[in-house]
Amino acid sequence: MSLPETVPFLGWAWDDLLFLFFAGALLGTGLMVVIGRNIIRSGLWMICCFGALAGLYVLLGAPLIAAAQVLIYIGAISVLVLFAVMLTQSKSGPVGLVFHHQAWAGALAALGIGILVAVVVAGTAWPLAETARTPSPTEELALLLFRDYVLPLEVVSVLLLAAVIGGVFLAKREREPEETIVPAEPARERMPAPAPAVGTRELTP
Amino acid sequence: MSALTRPWGHLTLAGKIILPLVGLVIALTLLLLLGVATGVIPALVLFGGSLVGANLPIVRFIVAASAILLMTVPTAFVIIYMEMKFIAFINMRLGPNRIGPWGTLQSTIHGFKVLAKEDFTPTGVDVPVFTLAPVVVYLSAVMTLLVLPFAPGLVGVDMNIGLLYFFGIGGLNVVGLLMAGWSSFNKYSLIGGLRAAAQVISYELPLTLGVVGVIMLAGTMSLNQIVLLQAGSFLDWFVFQQPLGFLIFFIAAVAEGNRAPFDLTEADSEIVAGFATEYSGMRFGFFFFAEYVAVFILSGLITVLFFGGWNAPLDLNPLLNWAGLSVNTGLDFGRLGVGLLFLIALGPVVGTLLLALPFWMLRSDWSVLKSLVIGFLLFNLLIMGAVGLYLAISFEAVVGLFWFIAKTYVFVFVFVWMRGTLPRVRIDQLMGFAWKWLLPAALLNLFVTALAVITVDAIR
Repeated sequence: MSLPETVPFLGWAWDDLLFLFFAGALLGTGLMVVIGRNIIRSGLWMICCFGALAGLYVLLGAPLIAAAQVLIYIGAISVLVLFAVMLTQSKSGPVGLVFHHQAWAGALAALGIGILVAVVVAGTAWPLAETARTPSPTEELALLLFRDYVLPLEVVSVLLLAAVIGGVFLAKREREPEETIVPAEPARERMPAPAPAVGTRELTP
Repeated sequence: MSALTRPWGHLTLAGKIILPLVGLVIALTLLLLLGVATGVIPALVLFGGSLVGANLPIVRFIVAASAILLMTVPTAFVIIYMEMKFIAFINMRLGPNRIGPWGTLQSTIHGFKVLAKEDFTPTGVDVPVFTLAPVVVYLSAVMTLLVLPFAPGLVGVDMNIGLLYFFGIGGLNVVGLLMAGWSSFNKYSLIGGLRAAAQVISYELPLTLGVVGVIMLAGTMSLNQIVLLQAGSFLDWFVFQQPLGFLIFFIAAVAEGNRAPFDLTEADSEIVAGFATEYSGMRFGFFFFAEYVAVFILSGLITVLFFGGWNAPLDLNPLLNWAGLSVNTGLDFGRLGVGLLFLIALGPVVGTLLLALPFWMLRSDWSVLKSLVIGFLLFNLLIMGAVGLYLAISFEAVVGLFWFIAKTYVFVFVFVWMRGTLPRVRIDQLMGFAWKWLLPAALLNLFVTALAVITVDAIR
């Protein structure tokens, strides 16, 4: 006795059920990112959202992209975002998030984008892929990236490098003397992390 | 009630544990006999067998997942005991020596102690995040075990992107550390969490770049394939082709596992255990379980990538064949017939008596009982050795597992050794070392390897 070919009582393929699960998780966590009041929790929901997206990639037969998604988006980018938020959040900072001040405008923009996406999706024919999914797409991806599209890849790399250098330049710029409130200690200048501000949240009973 | 409670109160602690167990065993035996007599259990076994046969991949996955979850507990206990004992030796102390012979049960007692402690949630913490953080840290460590090849055929899932999966899931533990640090509502915890984020992100680059050389040589990211490519003698191990890559990877792995000298995230002497300050009971235990499991996993990965995984350092089979020592492993116990029954019934008794005899004859001050006990223990040792040898000869996986575990524990020992020897670095030294030394060295290794691969291809 093995598992049935389709989901019992519903008649869907198992892939469809998994897709519904991941897509639902994606939408739900995405919504939690923007409607929460706590910015760190929003960041954590964003990590869950990226995880659901990685699940979708695996379902589509692209485990390499899923692994890259987990490695880069969750392991590096989200962690950096959380890091920056934890460093900069302070008691004097804004309590409400930006989304809350612009809720109506945001809702209108989201509605507009939603309608646009619906129109485009409905208006496009979606032919099935001719070729079968390859079990190991790593080599093909490498060939595409480093042979056929090597110039765009290098251009993007240079752009990213320029962005990094610009970020370092902006962060390291000499401040105006009247702006410096705390005199910089020479011995501490090389420490990357200033003392983080704690006590940002209200004590919840 | 008092008629029952009074004898219960007179029992020792061991009695209170053993008595319910005896009752349970008797009840289960009765149930089993009843099931066999009515034919329910044979039918269930047949049905279960057919179910397993039809869904082999799913069953295999479930078994692998449960097995790796279960093996983390003894692994962590062994490594904790190793660490206590070796660091005590380095510090010229005795180390744990009270519970069990040579203190071997000390870490088990630590486990029970942690379980029995109050699980306290301080005021002001972000409760869901605070609760989930140890789970994230522990699971991220355990899930990476799924792709580690222990022995031929003994791997949870043989993915063709195994290495990427390993780094992706292993990198999730920093999310757990950040969650713990932030939700604890304590500035030391927050500093610990922030240090963890900065450190893990910085060292992930040399960690992954250091392996790229191995991937280029192997041409695959499947850990199983990488091990298979290193078959042969120890000269085929990748450490000889990638010495710089191994050094970079090892240093980055120490930092990735938050171990001394890069243990700034806990740093108990400066930020009172960092992210774990506010945790107590089993939640605290989970963090440290995860740390020791991570030590095992990182050592295992070093073994797999650079030291030939489950391959023996020297293949002894040709030598044995040449010496005429090759063993026919096709033992058929059924051939013995009734003799098998006699062997099972009389073997232990005769063996024990035979082994006890010399002790009883040679030492006049030892009682009969003492020499019998020693004979019994010796007999058990001999039989265990014989069974182990038989398994090692008949099954490739047993020898492979032996070599994998042996090599892995060598690196676990190096981790412990470093913790006992090296002082903790400062945070700016830590970051500077990653970005100014390890990363350029990893890039250099990458280019040199690429050049070597191209040159070798051109010559051929």
